[in-house]
Amino acid sequence: MTQNRTRQKTVGSSTARLLLGSLLLVAALLAGCPERKTGREEMTREERLRKSRKAARKVQKMVSTDGQPLVAWGTKQDVPPRPEEPQSLPKTEKGHWWNQEYAGWKTEKVNIPESPADGAWGKEIVLIRAGDHPYWTAYMKGFKRVADAFNMDVTIYNSNWNIVLQAQQTEQAINQRPDMIIFAPVDPTSCTLLLREINRAGVPVIASNTLISNEAMKYVISWTGPDDWGQFRMLARRFADAMDKTGGYAIVRHMPGSSCFFARTYGPITTFKDYGPEMELLAMNTANLKSAQTMELVSAWLTKYGQKLDGLILPGDGFSLTGALEAVQSANREDITIVAAGSSETGLQAVKDGEVLGITYQTAEGDGALACFTAAQWLNGKDLPPVRYLPKEVITQQKVDTYLPAQW
Amino acid sequence: MHKGRITELFRGMDRHRALLMFLGAYLFLSLFAPHFFTFYNTTSLLKASSLNGIVAIGFTLIFILGELDLSVGAVVMLCGMLVPGLQPELGWAGGILCALLAGACIGLVNGLLVAKAGISSFIVTLGMMVILEGVMHIYSGGSSMSVASFGLADWLDRPLLPLLPPRVIITFALVGGASLFLQKTPLGRGFFIVGGDPEMAWRAGLNRDRYLILGFVICSVTAALGGALLAASLSSMTGDAVLATRTLMTVLAAVIIGGTPLTGGKGSVVKSYFAVLLLTTVSNGIGCFGLGFEVQMFANGVILAAVVLYEAYVIYRHNLLKGQRPHLLADLEQEQESNSRGSR
Repeated sequence: MTQNRTRQKTVGSSTARLLLGSLLLVAALLAGCPERKTGREEMTREERLRKSRKAARKVQKMVSTDGQPLVAWGTKQDVPPRPEEPQSLPKTEKGHWWNQEYAGWKTEKVNIPESPADGAWGKEIVLIRAGDHPYWTAYMKGFKRVADAFNMDVTIYNSNWNIVLQAQQTEQAINQRPDMIIFAPVDPTSCTLLLREINRAGVPVIASNTLISNEAMKYVISWTGPDDWGQFRMLARRFADAMDKTGGYAIVRHMPGSSCFFARTYGPITTFKDYGPEMELLAMNTANLKSAQTMELVSAWLTKYGQKLDGLILPGDGFSLTGALEAVQSANREDITIVAAGSSETGLQAVKDGEVLGITYQTAEGDGALACFTAAQWLNGKDLPPVRYLPKEVITQQKVDTYLPAQW
Repeated sequence: MHKGRITELFRGMDRHRALLMFLGAYLFLSLFAPHFFTFYNTTSLLKASSLNGIVAIGFTLIFILGELDLSVGAVVMLCGMLVPGLQPELGWAGGILCALLAGACIGLVNGLLVAKAGISSFIVTLGMMVILEGVMHIYSGGSSMSVASFGLADWLDRPLLPLLPPRVIITFALVGGASLFLQKTPLGRGFFIVGGDPEMAWRAGLNRDRYLILGFVICSVTAALGGALLAASLSSMTGDAVLATRTLMTVLAAVIIGGTPLTGGKGSVVKSYFAVLLLTTVSNGIGCFGLGFEVQMFANGVILAAVVLYEAYVIYRHNLLKGQRPHLLADLEQEQESNSRGSR
C-alpha cells in the first residue's frame, strides 16, 4: 500500500516535472520568436503597376476549358427596396428572402482598408477554400491561372467543410499577414466572425463562391460568385415554359446548412408565384446530394403522386441527377421534365441526350478566376462593386455544344 | 541495472507519449514550418483545440467505463445551435445554461438505455446521433443560426495572459478539474474500477448502473459545453452536419492516441487533451507548409495507425511474457502440486 502510494507520488511528481519543463521550454522558445520574412521581388511601384496592367489585359483574353471567357461577370441587377420585416412575410413571397438574395448590395461597409494601388504583381495571397469537390478542382484551376498571370505568391488552405478548421485556418492566414485573403466560406452565416477578425486585423479580404450573409458582407471589400437566386429564377421560368405553366412538380433540395438549400428551393417557388401560379408544388425534400437517396426519394414521389408529377427540380447535375434519372427510367416516366443546377460533364451529357431540359451554367474555373482577378484589380487601385456575379445562363439542348467539353 | 533503467525510461516515455509527441511535433514545426512559431499561431492552436479538448473529457470518461458515445458530435451541434437560438430571449447565460441542460437530458437518456435496458452503447448512441441531427435541422429550419452580438465572442478570444484567452483558460480548468476528480476523489476512482473490473466493483459496493448513467451525463454535458463555447465564440452555429462527424472522429482518435483503451479501466483526460493538441498542431503545421487537407488527414491517420500498432505490439509482448492462457498454467501448477502430494 505504502509502496503504491510512493509510486503514485513518484509518477505524479515526474508528470508535474515533465509538464513544467515542457511549458518552460515552449515559453523560452516563444520568447525568442523569430519573424520570418518572405522574399519579395524588389520593384518600383510604377514597374509593378505596369506589369499588373499588362497581366490584367492578358487574363481578360483567356478562355476556360469549355471555351467560354475565363474572367467575366454579370451586370449589376436591379435591387428592389427591402421590405420592412422580410422574415414576417410568408416563405413563398420573394420579399421573405430579400436578405439572402440581395445580400451585400445595400450593406454599409466597416473598416475597409485603402487599396495600396501599387499593383498586384508578385503580391502574397491566401486562399481559404471551403472543401474538396470536382467543382473546386476546376475552381482552383481558374484561380491559379490568374494568380500565375499576376506572378502572385499563393498559399491555399482547405477547410474540408469544417467550420472549426476554417476558424483555425483564418487565424493562420492572418498570422501570415498577406496582401489579400480570399475567403470561400464553409458556412454563409458562421463565417461572419471570421471575416470580422480578418477585417479587424487590417488584412484586405474578398469573399468568394458561397453567398455570405448581409452581416458578413460588412467586412469584405467585395464578394464574387454565382448568383444562385438569379440563375434559379431563370431556370424556373424555362421549366415553367416547358410545362405550359401547369402541372405538379417536386423539388429535391440541396444540403441543409448551405445557402443553396434555400436559393435552389425558394428561387423557383417564389418565381412560380407570379410566372406560373397554376403550377402545384407536390413535395420537396433533401437527399443530401446522394445518388441512392435521391433515387429512393424520387421513386417514392413517383409512387405517391403517379401521373400528377410532371416535373422535377434538382439541386445539382451530379449525383442528384444520376439518382433521379435512375428512378424516372425505372418507372418508365421519361416524360417528366427535369432541370438542375449545373454544369458538370454528367449534366451537359444528359442535356445533350435530351434526358434533362436544362441546367444552369455556373463556370467553376470562372468562379476561381473572378475571385483572384477581383483581388488583383483592387491591388491595382480599382474601385470595386460590393457584389460581382458570374454570368448566368440556362444550357439547353440547342446550345449545349457551346459549353463542351465540360470543366468538371 | 542499466537495462532496467532503459526499460523504465521507455515505460515513462510510453506513459507520457501524447505529451512527448505533441512537444516533438511542436518543436519540429517551430524549426521548419513557415509562420508556425509565433505567439499568435500558438494562441490560435490552443483556441482551436478547445472544442475537441472539452469534448474529449467526457469521451475519455466513457472509454474508461468501457463504453462508447457516438452522439457527442451531434450533441455539440444541437446544443451549440440552442445558444444563438435562445440568446435573443434568454441572453448568453440563459442560452448556455439551456444547452447544458439539454446535454444532461440527452446523456441521461443514453445512460438509462445502456444501464437499465442493457442495450449496447454503440447502438444507443448511434441512434441518438441520427435523432439529434434531425432535431437540429428541425430546430434551425435547415440553416445556420447567428446573433449580431459579438461581445462574448470578443471576450472569449482576447488573451487575458500571453497565449491564454478565456476560452483556453476554461479548457485548461475543465481538463485539470476532471483529471483531479478522476484521480483524487473516491467517486472518480470508482469509474476506473467499474470500467476495469465490474465484478470487483460489485464486491466493493459500487453501483455500476449509477456510474454508467453519470458517465453518459458527464459526456453529453461536456459535449454540450464544447458546442456552447464554440457557438459563443462564433456568435453563430453552423447547420452543416459535417462538424458533428469531424468532432467525433478527432476526439475518438485523440482518446486512443492518449492511451485510453476501449476495454475500459484506465485512461487520462490530460493525455487525451495532449493528443488533441498533437492532432491540431500537426494539421496547423502542415497548413503552414502550404500542403493540402489530404496531407493533414494522412498525417493524422499515420499517427493514429502508429499508436494502434504500438498498442497491439505491447499487448502481444505482454501475452508472450505472461502466457496466452494463464489460467491453464495455474491449472497445471495445481495438478503438479496434487500429484506431488499423492506421491508423498
